[in-house]
Amino acid sequence: MTWGISMDINVAVKPGIRIRAFYLFFIIANIQNGTGIMGVPRYIYKEAKQDSWVSILIAGLFIHIVVFVMFQILNKYENTDIFGIQVDLFGNWVGKILGTIFITYVFGSLLTVLINYIQVVQVFIFPTLSRWMITILLLLIVTYAVLGGLRVAVGVAFIFFILSIWLVIFLYKPMTLTDFGHFKPLLEASPKELLLGAKATSYSFLGLEILFFIYPFIDNKKKAQLPTQIGIATTTFIILLVTGISIGFFGGDTLEQAIWPVLILYKLIEYTLIERFDIIVVSQWMMVIIPIMILLSWMITYGVKRLYKISQKKTLFVVILLLLICGGTIKNQYTIETIIDYVAQIGFWIVIIYPLILYPLVLIKKKTNKNKEGES
Amino acid sequence: MKKRTNKFKNSKKKGEFPIVIDQLEQSVKDQLHDEANLIFKKINVQNKNILIFYISYLIDKKRLDDNLFTPLLYSETEWSTSNLVDNLPIGDGKQYQTVEEVCSQIISGSVGVYIENENEIVTFSILNNQQRPLEKPERESIVIGPQAAFSESLETNLNVVRASIKSNELVAEKFTIGSRLPTEVRLTYLKSLANDEDVQTMRQRLNDLVVDDIEDSSVLSQYLEDSSISIFPQFYLTERVDRFNYSISKGKIGVLSDGSPEGIVAPTTFFGFFESTEDVYFRWNIATFFRMLRFIAMFISFILTPIYVAVVTFHYEILPISLLETLGQSRSKVPFSPVLEVLFLELIIELLREAGARLPTKVGQTIGIVGGIVLGQAAVDAGLTSNVLIIVIAMSALASFTAPSYLMGSAIRVIRYPLIIVAGLFGIIGVTFGLCLLIIHLLKMTSLGRPYFLPVYPFVFKDLDNSLIRLPFGISNKRSISYRLKDDTRYKEKKSTKKKDIDDLGD
Repeated sequence: MTWGISMDINVAVKPGIRIRAFYLFFIIANIQNGTGIMGVPRYIYKEAKQDSWVSILIAGLFIHIVVFVMFQILNKYENTDIFGIQVDLFGNWVGKILGTIFITYVFGSLLTVLINYIQVVQVFIFPTLSRWMITILLLLIVTYAVLGGLRVAVGVAFIFFILSIWLVIFLYKPMTLTDFGHFKPLLEASPKELLLGAKATSYSFLGLEILFFIYPFIDNKKKAQLPTQIGIATTTFIILLVTGISIGFFGGDTLEQAIWPVLILYKLIEYTLIERFDIIVVSQWMMVIIPIMILLSWMITYGVKRLYKISQKKTLFVVILLLLICGGTIKNQYTIETIIDYVAQIGFWIVIIYPLILYPLVLIKKKTNKNKEGES
Repeated sequence: MKKRTNKFKNSKKKGEFPIVIDQLEQSVKDQLHDEANLIFKKINVQNKNILIFYISYLIDKKRLDDNLFTPLLYSETEWSTSNLVDNLPIGDGKQYQTVEEVCSQIISGSVGVYIENENEIVTFSILNNQQRPLEKPERESIVIGPQAAFSESLETNLNVVRASIKSNELVAEKFTIGSRLPTEVRLTYLKSLANDEDVQTMRQRLNDLVVDDIEDSSVLSQYLEDSSISIFPQFYLTERVDRFNYSISKGKIGVLSDGSPEGIVAPTTFFGFFESTEDVYFRWNIATFFRMLRFIAMFISFILTPIYVAVVTFHYEILPISLLETLGQSRSKVPFSPVLEVLFLELIIELLREAGARLPTKVGQTIGIVGGIVLGQAAVDAGLTSNVLIIVIAMSALASFTAPSYLMGSAIRVIRYPLIIVAGLFGIIGVTFGLCLLIIHLLKMTSLGRPYFLPVYPFVFKDLDNSLIRLPFGISNKRSISYRLKDDTRYKEKKSTKKKDIDDLGD
């Protein structure tokens, strides 16, 4: 075992902090449907126009394959995460550098969730409320929850998913106002446009990488794949739903102007007692993004502990401090969109393409290991 | 026993017997600090000097005369320590060799008998326990079902618990807690059902507890709870005998302490606090409805006023114009900001509640009416609050009283205040913030080491029965599986009978 001098490949997890596999559905469905979903119809529409739905289906299918590959990789090992795998494959140094890159990307992802939500709150509810205040409120919750460990993080994902999934139901109202003419002519987009459209969904599918972190903690690993795949299917369905409704309702030109078309859809909804439903949606959206932030923060603290054996509390406070500074200072809508764009690009390669490259490497490694064992 | 004698540790060693009667009398007097009702009787039977001593108000005088003096005086045999214990018609005879030990028995209602020149003193417990009879529950009232509440006497409480759980599986372990003023505490559970680990945790906590005295079960439960920072109670305190017994029979652990009319039930979940025993007595569908009603009431209770504050302060565009008009009109005369207005009225309601709780029952009712009708109307007329707010406040106050547990109801009333303040500061975002924090807090809590938010998280589908809803008894044949009881089957599931057609014509 020359590769494991300072780091064990496999993770020993006490039974007390393990989680059951079915929570993976809620974790995946929650972590994917947060920030991206608010604006995704616009990005897809830009590429694939009225055939966006085909792009989404392609993307969904592709992600299912990626998840399958991720499980194949993880199943090759006993009980490990991405850090263990990387160190096993590339040695201690390169493995740790790759791990650090992974964690940095997770932090970027976390940052986009925060600043995007602050922007939404400012635009829809409180144009004058200080960004620092909202940041502090959000980070207070995140800190409090992450201090409770993975058990609490998963619990938050589970409960808040149930508490906020009802928002989808209210889309029935704009759905009734859909104009099917907006989908015509059918299948006009070229394959290239469709693929570009599929790539545009990638930001919405990010979050998948949590599988690489949380896997050692899953209690019944054999049953883990199904809930994850159902989670992916749910995400695909929700993206399909909101994109379909957005295109059907807005039509092309308006949709390209709207930054958060999904939130605007909620603006249409009116009841006798509630005239501005979007305000409730935006405030409720806090319950959608809080679990994401908690899970991502936990991933960072856990990752740093794995790589450098730094206590999770220390990492957490550093992360929170960095987020506070960034959340308070990044103001410009253009800057925010640029950051999101970068994270989406990097995420596409790290989360979606990287496992596909990793898989053959793992296979080769295992094979040579076996041969070595056979020789000796 | 060991703990009780500890306080006498620094006095003389044993081995002082045999002793002259007068000397014994003096040392007992010294030990009990010249208690005025300490009575000494010297009698001479069959040429033996016998000293009998007791505290007159602690003992049952009839039993003293009938069972001690009569046989003692009219006996023909020669008394010695051993045949005292064997031949007197009193059960509880013990022999001691030091005055200290004897005195600790005397103060808990025993009578001491010493035959001169013998080596030991004999004590008989004939405690005359003053206690009130079992009464109807005052704090947790229900409409149907048994109506009995615990009393202050541990013996009576154990008596009623044993009377209804007629099983030798019921264990009542004895603990003595309090180094200065010892109190007897009993840990009760069903041996064949309760989770050993939980019992061990509770036993450990009781053993580890070092305090000078405990005033009441509620104080004891605060010492035993998992987190003392949290606002939420983690153990259920009940005065209802039937509730206590029901919990024990479902495999939970009960703690009774002497001098307290309340039993502690652990572990308890958050949802357990909204469970009334009445739910068991009602038909399942009605019970489910009422239980749901209580959850909704709790939600209304802490969300309604903060929402009002948020909407009126920041988001009036949410309201439709017609409602906005009435609200504006009724608020036009009010000089305060919505937060202050709400806090002011909430304070009045809290005052009414507190006053109602402190005043004698008959006056309390009047206060309720005066406060509710007169004060509310006057406040609106004076332009201090708006009409709409009165309705909102009244509703949330009413809702908070539906919680079967008074402790939980109080907790909910108190968490409203921080929520109102964040709503006043950050509007509806603040309300969501408060709710998120609250839920995460509940997720983090434990009761006796078990998750507080069971069965929602960790999610146990089968346990939703009997916590969130109630299913017909025919279906719910399992006990709560999340507590890992020794046996979670209440009865074997019935084999499904042949499906019936609309009209069964017979074979």
